[in-house]
Amino acid sequence: MWKQIGGREAGQIRPNSFSNRVKSNRVSSLQLSNYKDIVSPHRGSINSLQVDLTEGRYLLSGASDASVAVYDVQRATDYEGDGLIAKHKSIVVVDKQHEQGHKYAVSSAIWYPIDTGLFITGSYDHYVKVWDTNSTQVVMNFKMPGKVYRTAMSSLATSHMLIAAGTEDVQVRLCDIASGAFAHTLSGHRDGIMTVEWSTSSEWVLVTGGCDGAIRFWDIRRAGCFRVLDQSQSQLGRRPPLLERSALNKVSTSKSSSGGQNLSAKSRPQQRKSTNGNGIKQSPIGRIPAKASVRQRLHPGMLSGQDRATAHYGAVTGLKVTDDGMYLLSAGSDSRIRLWDVQSGCNTLVNFETVRLQTSKAIQLATSQDPALVFVPCMTAVKAFDVWSGKTHMAFRGHYEYVNCCWFSSQDQELYTGGSDRKILVWSPSRLISDELVDHLVSVAFYFTFHFNFYLCALKL
Amino acid sequence: MEEERGKVRALIEMATNSTEREVDPRLLKAIKYVVRYSDPELRLAAQTLMDLMKRDHSQVRYLTLLIIDELFMRSKLFRTLVIENLDQLLSLSVGFRRNLPLPAPPAIATILRAKAIEFLEKWNATFGVHYRQIRLGFDYLKNTLRFHFPNLQANAARIQQERREREIKTKEILRNKFETLGQNLSTIKEEIQSTIDEIGECLDIIRAKEENMALAPLDDDDFEEFRSSELRQIRLDSLKEGEKVHENNDNTVVFDALRELYKLLMTKHMGSVQESISVLIRVEVPDNRLRDSMLKELIDIRNRLVLVKKKCEESGCALATNVKEEEEEDFWEEGKIGPTEKGSSSTPSKPKQKLQNLAVASTSGEIKNEQSDNNELRKTDSNSPRSKLLSEAPVVEWGSFLGNWGLDRDFMANQRGLELENHWGRVDYDAVIPAEKIAELNLQATFYKEEPVEIQPCRAPLRKGGLCQRRDLKVCPFHGPIIPRDDEGNPINQKNPSSDENPSSDENPIQKNSLIDDETSLDLGSDLSEQLAKQAIQNVRDREKEEGRKRKIDKQSLNRAKLAKVREHNEAVLRDAALASTSRSEAVGEDIDVTNGKKSSTRNKKKTLAFMLRKKVTTKDRLAQRLLNTRARDATTRQLTMGEEETYRENFPNQW
Repeated sequence: MWKQIGGREAGQIRPNSFSNRVKSNRVSSLQLSNYKDIVSPHRGSINSLQVDLTEGRYLLSGASDASVAVYDVQRATDYEGDGLIAKHKSIVVVDKQHEQGHKYAVSSAIWYPIDTGLFITGSYDHYVKVWDTNSTQVVMNFKMPGKVYRTAMSSLATSHMLIAAGTEDVQVRLCDIASGAFAHTLSGHRDGIMTVEWSTSSEWVLVTGGCDGAIRFWDIRRAGCFRVLDQSQSQLGRRPPLLERSALNKVSTSKSSSGGQNLSAKSRPQQRKSTNGNGIKQSPIGRIPAKASVRQRLHPGMLSGQDRATAHYGAVTGLKVTDDGMYLLSAGSDSRIRLWDVQSGCNTLVNFETVRLQTSKAIQLATSQDPALVFVPCMTAVKAFDVWSGKTHMAFRGHYEYVNCCWFSSQDQELYTGGSDRKILVWSPSRLISDELVDHLVSVAFYFTFHFNFYLCALKL
Repeated sequence: MEEERGKVRALIEMATNSTEREVDPRLLKAIKYVVRYSDPELRLAAQTLMDLMKRDHSQVRYLTLLIIDELFMRSKLFRTLVIENLDQLLSLSVGFRRNLPLPAPPAIATILRAKAIEFLEKWNATFGVHYRQIRLGFDYLKNTLRFHFPNLQANAARIQQERREREIKTKEILRNKFETLGQNLSTIKEEIQSTIDEIGECLDIIRAKEENMALAPLDDDDFEEFRSSELRQIRLDSLKEGEKVHENNDNTVVFDALRELYKLLMTKHMGSVQESISVLIRVEVPDNRLRDSMLKELIDIRNRLVLVKKKCEESGCALATNVKEEEEEDFWEEGKIGPTEKGSSSTPSKPKQKLQNLAVASTSGEIKNEQSDNNELRKTDSNSPRSKLLSEAPVVEWGSFLGNWGLDRDFMANQRGLELENHWGRVDYDAVIPAEKIAELNLQATFYKEEPVEIQPCRAPLRKGGLCQRRDLKVCPFHGPIIPRDDEGNPINQKNPSSDENPSSDENPIQKNSLIDDETSLDLGSDLSEQLAKQAIQNVRDREKEEGRKRKIDKQSLNRAKLAKVREHNEAVLRDAALASTSRSEAVGEDIDVTNGKKSSTRNKKKTLAFMLRKKVTTKDRLAQRLLNTRARDATTRQLTMGEEETYRENFPNQW
C-alpha cells in the first residue's frame, strides 16, 4: 500500500491505475461490514436495491410489504456499541399507510438517473409510480396491464425520459415521464417480462428478458426487436482483442453516424449486415452461415424461427449489462448464468459455478468493473464470480433466507444485498488502510509518550 | 503433527460419543488444552465440530454445541471460523429451516434448540458488537422468526437496575435526613444541653441535702464476721446502697424531676443522637468536612449523655435501677420469691439477712416494700392491676409461638423470610394460614410432671452403730414408719420413753401407728404442721365417713320412697281398673255402682295383689268383649296394647 503511494508520488504509477489498484484491492477484501448497519424498516422480503447514480449516497430499497425506503449510506443516523456500529436508519419510508402507496409488493424501485429528486417504483398492484423524494408524493401514475416485475431507466439517456416496465403482460411498455403516457409498446415476448435493462452504451437500446426464456434487444427508435439471443449460438471466450475490433470499426465507419453517438457496439452488426452478407458474426468459429442469412433477411420486421430462440431454459430472471456495455450477463431459472457478447449476440460459454438460483423471482445482479466480477444471489448467499472465467471469487453468506437483489456501489466499493429475511446487508472492504493508519498512529503516539515519560523522569531526577 | 491432529479429532469424537447431558469435563479440558497452543489444531477442531453438527443425531449435535460454546467463549480464531458459517450452525442447532428439521430423539432435539438459542443470546450479548453475523442471526431469530429467547441478560440487567434505583432512593432519603439534621442540629444541641443542665442542678440539690445529713458509719462493728470475699462484696454494696441518698418526703419533688429528666434524656435525646450518628455514617455527601465535624460533635454529645446518665445512676441509684429494671423485677417477682424462701429455710445466708435487716425485715417483705415504694414513687396504680394480671396469668412453656402471643391475625404461609425454592411446583406466595388454624397449631401440650419428692432416709439407729440409710416412702420394712428423728436417731416428736422402744426392729407397725396416733393426740406443740396435717386428714376421713353414712341412709330412704311410690301407683291402677270394670259392667245404675265400686275397691285392696291382678284383667277383657261390641275400636286398641302390657308385667311384676 505504502509502496504504491510512494510510486504514485514519484509518478511511476498513473493516477487511474493507482486508483484501480486500490479499488480492486478493496473489492477483493469485501466482507460483511460490522460497522455499518442498515436498519431496514421492511416487513417483507426486499426485492430491489439501488444506490443513486449521481451521488452514490442514497440507497433505495423496495420490499414486498409494499414499502419503499431510502437510506443515507454515507452518514449514519446514530451509533451503537461505543460508536463502533453505525446505524443507518431510513430517511424516507413509503409504505401501505401512505395514502398513495402501493397496495402490493414493490418489485422494483429505481432512482431517476439524473438526480435523487425522483424515484420510480413498480409494484404487483399493476402500477408504476413516480415519486417526489422530498415530498414523498406520487408525481405520476402508470397503470399497467399486469403485475410489474421490473422497471428501468437508461442511465445515459439525454433525449428521452422513458421508464421501461416489464410486466406479466407480454408487452414491454415504455412510460414517458415527460408526457405521462405510454410512449411505446414493445411486443415480441411470448410470456411475461421478468427483467428489463437499458444498454449502458446506447440510450436507445433496451434489453428485456422474459419468462419464455428469450432475451430481446430493442432499438426504441424502430419497430420490433432487432436481436434475440440464442443460447446455442456461442463463441469461445472473449472477443478478439481491441486492436482488431478497432480496425474493423475503421473499416465500417460509413454508416456508424446513423446509429447515433455511442452505440458502436450495437450498431456494428447492423453495419456488417449491410456490408458483408454472410459475415454476420465476429465469432471465431463462425459456423452456420445459412442461419445467419435467414436472420439477416428477416431482421426489420422479424417473424421467423429465429425469433423463437431462447437464451435460457425457463425464465430469464436477471439481466445485467456490464459497465462498458459490451457484455450482457443473464441469469435464468435453469440456474445458469450466461455471459453474452453484445456485439455478436453469442453465448460466450463461460461456465459459472453456480449451485442454484432462485427460480420464482426476478433477481438483481451486480457487476464490478475492475476486477471484473459479477455478484449473483445464489439462494441464501451472494456469490461473486469472475466474469471471464466463471470461477467463484467470493461467497457472501449472511442472509438467512433467499437473497433477491444486490447492488455494487463502485464509488465506495461496497456491496448491498437484500433478502427475504428483510435485511439489507452491507459488505464492505475490511478497513485495511484505516487499520494500518491507526496502527501507525498508535505506534507513533506510543513512541512520543514513551519519550515524554522519559523526559519527565529526567526532569524529576 | 499428524498425530496431534488426529488427537483433537479423536478427543472431540470421543467427547461427543456419549449419552450424557454434559460433556465429560476431563475430555473437555483435554480438548481445550490441545487447542490452546496451536491454531491448526483449532482450525481442525472447528472443522470437526462443524462436521459433527451435521450428524443426523441430536445428542451428538447437542454435545458438539456444548463444545463449540466452550471454545467460542475463549478463542477469537475459533469465533471467526465458526461465524463464517453461523447460519449453517444455527440451522443445524436451532433447526429453523423447514426443510432441515432437527434429527431424531425429539426430547434431546428440544433441549438442543433451547440450548442453542440460549447460547446465541449469550454470544450476542458478549460478542455481538464485534460480529455482525451474530447480531444478524440473533435479530433474525428474534424478530423475523419470533423465537422466544430466555432473555437472561436483560432480566439480570433489570434486577441490577432496580437495585441501583433502590440504592439511589435510600441515598436520597439519607441526604434529606442529613440536610434536616444540619438544620436541626443546633436546636437539638440546645435541648440536650438544657436537659443536662437541669439534671446537673437537680443533682446539685440532692447532693447538698445529702451533705447535710450525717451518715452513720457502719463499717467497723461487724466487719470481721464476713468470711468470704463474696460476702464482703455484698456487704460493701449494701454499704454503698446505704450511702446513697434515699428519697424522703423532702426531696421527692427533686427526685421526680430528676427521674423525668432522666427519662427524657434516655428515650428522646439518646435515641435521636444515635439515629443522627447512624445517618451521618451512612450518608454520602460531597462535602465530607461538614459531615465529619457534625459527626464529631454528635459523638461528643453522646459521650456527654452517657456521662450524665452514669452520674444520674450513681447519684440516684435507686431511681435509676428502679426506673430501668422495674419491669424486669416485676416480671421476675414470683420467680424470685421461691429461691429466697427456700434459701431462708435451707441455708440461711447471714449477710443477706443482714442486708435485709438493713433495708427491711424479710425477703418477701422487701419485695412488698419495694412495690409499695414503687407505687409511692410513681404515684401510679399501674402496678396493682399488673400484678393482679400476673397472678392470674398462665404459666406457659417458652416457645417461638410466644412471639405471636395474642395476635389474632392470618399468617402468610409461604413468606417465612427464607428463599425456599420449591422443587415440587409453583409456590403460592399469597397462601394464608387462618388465625384459627394458627391457634390450633400453637396449642401447647402440657405434660404431667411428678413433683420431685425427697424421700427421707429412715435414720433409725442401727445396732452396729450409725443410722439406717434406707429410703422408703412411708414405712421402712425394718424400722417401721418413717418419722422425723434427731441426729442420734431418736424420733423427734416423741418426748416420752418410747424413744427406747423405737429402735427395736421387731416392733409391730400397727401398734406403732396407734401409738403415734395417741401421741399426736397427746401433744401438738412438737411438730405442729404434722399434727395439723394429721388432724386435717382425720377430719377429712371423719367427714367422708359421715358422708358415707349419710349416703347409705339416703339410699335406704330413697329405696323406701321408691317402694312407696310403686305401691301408690299400684293402688292407683287398681282403683282405676275397679272403676272401669264397674262402670262398664253396669252402665245404668251409676249411683249405686259408684258406691259399690268404692266399696269393692276398698275391699279389693285387702286382697293379694297378684290375685287381684289376674282376676281383674280377665274380667275386664271378658266384659269388654262381651258387652262393648259396638266399641270395636276400643277393643282393638286394648288388644293391641295387650302384648305390651304383658311384657310390662313380666318385667315389673310388682308394678302395674
